[in-house]
Amino acid sequence: MRIVASYNVKGGVGKTTAAVNLAYLSAREGRRTLLWDLDPQGAATFLFRVKPRVKGGGGRLVRRERPIGAALKATDFTGLDLLPADVTYRNLDLDLAGAHGRSTKASRALGRLLGELADDYDVVFLDTPPSLSLVSENALRASDVVLVPIIPTVLALRTYDQLAEFVDGFDGRRPRLHAFFSMADRRKSLHREIIASLPGERDGISPTAVPALSQVEQMAVHRAPLPVYAPDSPATRAYHSLWTELAGLAGA
Amino acid sequence: MLGALNPAAGTRYTLSAGQATTRTVTYLDTVDWRLRRKGLVLRHERATSEAGTLRLDGTGDAVSATLPSPVAWPARIEHLPDGELRDGLADAMWVRAVAPVAKGRLVTREAAVLNEDGKIVVRLDWAELTGSEPVRTEPLVRVTVRPLLGYRRDAERVTRALRDSEGFEPAEDTLYQALLAAVGSTAEAIARPAISADMPADVAVATALLGFADTIVDNVDGVVDDVDTEFLHDLRVAVRRSRSLIKLAGDVLPERLVARHAPGFKWLGDVTTPTRDLDVYLLELEELAAGLVAGERQDLEPFAEHLDRERRKARRALVRALRSQRFTRLLDGWRSGLAGIAEREESEKDSERGLAARELVAGRLRRMVKKVTRRAQAITPDSPSEDVHDLRKRCKELRYLLEFAKPLCDESAFRAALKDLKKLQDILGDFQDGEVQSAALRVFAERMQEDPSRPPAATLLAMGELSARFVTLQRQARHDLTAALERFLGPDTQVRSEALLP
Repeated sequence: MRIVASYNVKGGVGKTTAAVNLAYLSAREGRRTLLWDLDPQGAATFLFRVKPRVKGGGGRLVRRERPIGAALKATDFTGLDLLPADVTYRNLDLDLAGAHGRSTKASRALGRLLGELADDYDVVFLDTPPSLSLVSENALRASDVVLVPIIPTVLALRTYDQLAEFVDGFDGRRPRLHAFFSMADRRKSLHREIIASLPGERDGISPTAVPALSQVEQMAVHRAPLPVYAPDSPATRAYHSLWTELAGLAGA
Repeated sequence: MLGALNPAAGTRYTLSAGQATTRTVTYLDTVDWRLRRKGLVLRHERATSEAGTLRLDGTGDAVSATLPSPVAWPARIEHLPDGELRDGLADAMWVRAVAPVAKGRLVTREAAVLNEDGKIVVRLDWAELTGSEPVRTEPLVRVTVRPLLGYRRDAERVTRALRDSEGFEPAEDTLYQALLAAVGSTAEAIARPAISADMPADVAVATALLGFADTIVDNVDGVVDDVDTEFLHDLRVAVRRSRSLIKLAGDVLPERLVARHAPGFKWLGDVTTPTRDLDVYLLELEELAAGLVAGERQDLEPFAEHLDRERRKARRALVRALRSQRFTRLLDGWRSGLAGIAEREESEKDSERGLAARELVAGRLRRMVKKVTRRAQAITPDSPSEDVHDLRKRCKELRYLLEFAKPLCDESAFRAALKDLKKLQDILGDFQDGEVQSAALRVFAERMQEDPSRPPAATLLAMGELSARFVTLQRQARHDLTAALERFLGPDTQVRSEALLP
């Protein structure tokens, strides 16, 4: 089982969109895929038309009082299941700390929890909340690859560097970072320059750019992954490329 | 379809139907239902004009194989494409061919049950099968409720709604079983009328012989069409059974009937022997070739080709015989004569106070056991082969007599007696095989030498190796026979054979 986290400390950069579309493409290729919507806002859960509710809440899940398998929901797509968001996930940091104290165990609890599903899934996507919290640290530590959507601006790059530094400080196993350009607007010269130059200059940055298109925004209207209703969109093509890169990196 | 499924939606859900797929489905099995007896279902599905797909259920996960080219039914295992499906069928099919048992048109369609968010919470599989062969049937419909992970309650609700509605009830059989029932197939081996203890002896003997005659007739088409080698084998077993029973109890039947027909069964036995002998060789050849030590597997190829040519020749003669007037007259006359006795009016049966089946069986079995025992006691390590062969033949007669008497015997006593006999028969069979096979190899080799395309030396050497192996087999059997006879003649067997007598 390979684990991919879609992460950025900033919100609204395309984390959920990437997680949903890539999980869909992974399942379509025949991989048993799970998407865990860790964001209490539940955007991924909404996109799959699933009710944002986990019986017993996140607390009982991380305290292992309820089996993780009982919370899973099938999506409308073969081979793709969802662990939905729940409003109680806003307290997940406290729940994790409460269950495991300040020990290193607390930052690895989600990874161990996912271990229960190792025989059931080939790929797990984690859609993380936009923060640097115990939950996101858990997601980063559990992952084989961290997918980082970045808007091609200087400030966004700074955040990426901070993340790389943070992950570098991990003891033992470190995930690979894989950044890609999200919401790229080719009408803006800065976007064009950064997309053209950066992948050649820095490691871990994909040349793939997902364009900012209204088709992508319409995911919330269709409540479906982009390739389902816009299979020929340039954004769909970009997600295909991204999935090919990711599958290679994760060994999925 | 959506109309029929409407009750599943109720007021809570909406239904969305997928595309319908239509296929021609042919269910296949061997003539003796070997797949069905092992819980396997083999079907051939074809959407349009392509060769189609074979699908096997019942081995755990369903296995399917796309056919590269159309397969002509009946087909033996070697006619099916290599792969997992063939491996899953090999043991069950054995040497038998599969042929269509029922055919129909299958329309499948998936329907999704959606909740108020437009999320699929249950999937329904609609399957509608209309039988077309051997007879046309009404459409048979099955709806399978497929619960989705995390939506079990919705599935329960939909199932309940369907059950409560008119027109749906829980299915107790599969579509295949329903189709077999609809086309009137019992999917069982044909049950022959059994004999009973109080039957007049002639009625019992005629009933059993009539069963054997039916078996002969039932297998003729399979032999003529060369569907698989078991048709001929079964036909020959029925001939041997007939001949044994005529010999051991034919005296209770009208003398003229027996005198007129008995020689015909000897002829039938003789005319079927060459093909069967060649069948046995060809069936065993691969295993024999694999066991070669000095020779190579391919050394035997010219021998296999020779056997194949000989078999084609032998089969031509066999088919001629089975299509001859002599054969038709033999079976027709024999069956009508036997039927006259077996189906005699009840009143006529009662009016006779002759020998009952019970007495006949007891008398003949006792006599036959005595005969076999006497011959077995006379065998020493130095006895000539002919005596051993004679014992083998008598054992076979006893076996057929036992099988005739089976319905009259205590079941466990019968099983025990049969087991004793079988052990001895196996060794006697090996002894016979060893001798006959090594002698036959010599004849084959000579004939191949006479052929203008003389076989390579390697082939003859490999055949020599096989011959030596058969001689060893015969010697081993001769060695094992002493101990086997001791066991067979021991007190346990005697007790068991007494317990058996009705």
